[in-house]
Amino acid sequence: MPEARPRWTMRLGRRLSEALLTLPSFAWLALFFLVPTLLVFVLAFRPADPFGGIGRGWTLATVRALADPQYLAIAWRTLWVSLASTALCMLLAVPTGYAVARASPRRRNLLLMLVIVPFWTSFLIRVFAWKTILHPEGFLKKALVLLGLADANASLLYNLGAVVLVTVYTFLPFAILPIYAAAEKFDYRLIEAARDLGARPFQAFRRVFLPGVRQGLVTAILVVFIPALGSYVVPDLVGGTESEMLGNKIAQRVFVDRNLPLAGGLSIVLILAVLTPLLAVLALQRQAAAPTAGGEP
Amino acid sequence: MRQQTFFRMLRAAALAAVLGCAGCGGGQKEQPALHLYTWSDYIKPELVARFEAENHCRVVIDTFDSNEAMYAKLKAGASGYDVITPTSYMVSLMHGQGMLRPLDPALLPNRVHVDPEYLAIAVDKTMAHSVPYMLTNTGIAYRRSKVRDFQPSWSMFDRADLKGRMVMLNDMRETIGAALKSLGYSLNSTDPGELEQAKRVVLRWKANLAKFENEQYKNGIASGEFLLVHGYSGDILQVQAEDGDIGFAMPREGGAISCDDLVIARSAPQPRLAHAFINFLHDPAVAAENTGFTQFLCPNRDSYPLLDPAIRDNPGIFLPAEVKAKCEVLNDLGERNALFVKVWDEIKRGG
Repeated sequence: MPEARPRWTMRLGRRLSEALLTLPSFAWLALFFLVPTLLVFVLAFRPADPFGGIGRGWTLATVRALADPQYLAIAWRTLWVSLASTALCMLLAVPTGYAVARASPRRRNLLLMLVIVPFWTSFLIRVFAWKTILHPEGFLKKALVLLGLADANASLLYNLGAVVLVTVYTFLPFAILPIYAAAEKFDYRLIEAARDLGARPFQAFRRVFLPGVRQGLVTAILVVFIPALGSYVVPDLVGGTESEMLGNKIAQRVFVDRNLPLAGGLSIVLILAVLTPLLAVLALQRQAAAPTAGGEP
Repeated sequence: MRQQTFFRMLRAAALAAVLGCAGCGGGQKEQPALHLYTWSDYIKPELVARFEAENHCRVVIDTFDSNEAMYAKLKAGASGYDVITPTSYMVSLMHGQGMLRPLDPALLPNRVHVDPEYLAIAVDKTMAHSVPYMLTNTGIAYRRSKVRDFQPSWSMFDRADLKGRMVMLNDMRETIGAALKSLGYSLNSTDPGELEQAKRVVLRWKANLAKFENEQYKNGIASGEFLLVHGYSGDILQVQAEDGDIGFAMPREGGAISCDDLVIARSAPQPRLAHAFINFLHDPAVAAENTGFTQFLCPNRDSYPLLDPAIRDNPGIFLPAEVKAKCEVLNDLGERNALFVKVWDEIKRGG
């Protein structure tokens, strides 16, 4: 086998260059993501001292404290606010992504611009803009009162509805873009074929288009759901007395209660909550890939 | 050839950098720098300039936005700060941790001007390691045109007609403290029974609140979003200056008086200059000027006659004696802080 050695060295060389190429990003992630995450993990098993420091030795006190039902209530609220925001985002992003992809090239560029334009302004300023829009003395509120749809003393702000609304607003562009990217590559003759075979428009959309842009949908769901779980600013600014999410509780533990181990414990809960959907998607994708690789089922 | 030019340029650049640094290092040596770590807009800039001129030094100001953030930074090993202005409860915590330098009374002749009436309720009554800098009262601000029949009482938060348009501080000590006061207890109480009652009061109030808020309440009352807010007198006075429709009152049941103190860090590089700075701020004329700028009250008795009448006659700043008698300073509770955390968590949860 005279060719075996060169091929072997070639493969090694390729692996080496691959490793070298990924090394900078890997080192970056390890240094600024993996190590801090592990430190947070370690912190959760250290005792807290009342002076904001970290005590000596090891303890399971934080784990026991996390069993307190108050965290379950906050975790549940965090979960459903994130799920509701994701669902609403998808409901708006799928038709938008479809429409942008089907538009004429000139219109498409304009529409894409409009999707991206909000990024030109700071996220915080946009949240404050919502506070103005929903202001109890504002135009919208006055219009609603005039139409008899709202009570004069009611506030549109400072409730979970406002949190979901502003979260949806914030993440919508992140959901539209991957769906558009997938929809743009979609072969629309497949829809025509489905129509020719007797599918109604909505049926063709649901059974041919949506599976065709699956990858875009999955990406969109992840980029909305995961950051929504870690929300802190939005519930802090437009949320009310019953809108506390996990991010706010972590901030309270750090800045007010001076209890770093408990903040670390809550952060781990959040990290696990973020990893679960990611791992689920990875597992599903591997499962989906496996049968096709092994041949037609 | 090209490479040679490149290296020559590099060498020239390195040389310039070295020379440049030497230049700035020399400048620093001539004028010592005092490092002040404080809240934003908390000292009149002209006074800083005057101190710099009188003492041939530079004053470098760094700011923090919460006691806890400042504490965490120092605890993590930040050094180089000379004078810091934490709130009293944080001063006792830092003192307990050995982070402060004892003050030398001989270097602080102006300490005789400090208001003895305030010192009587202060945490560090003898000014052994801290000198009071600015006082603020936590009270109630309201929109005069929108709030009918205002009463200076914590029971305002029970008013259902203001539901959804009121906020209280997102600060467990202040808000639970207000409830304790409304029941006639001390706001430093750690009695479980009293805290339980206070919890029920705050839960009752919470049903009428838009949210718990530490910062945005100022803009909120200015824009008419909130009609009645729980807040600090200095903040409210700053808003009042722009809008005459805002009133401020101390509840008759009493409330919290907070004081930010001047302290010198244990690791201060310029302890003499730091003493001089603290002494300077308690010169009555300087203190009066500073109070006029910040709208917080420097507890310097001999500065009071020099104050603007608008400040001197404001019952929200100079409390009437019968209200003042019921006010207290928030103490650091040490390990018993956990009791407040527990009650606060239960309030937030709504149980």
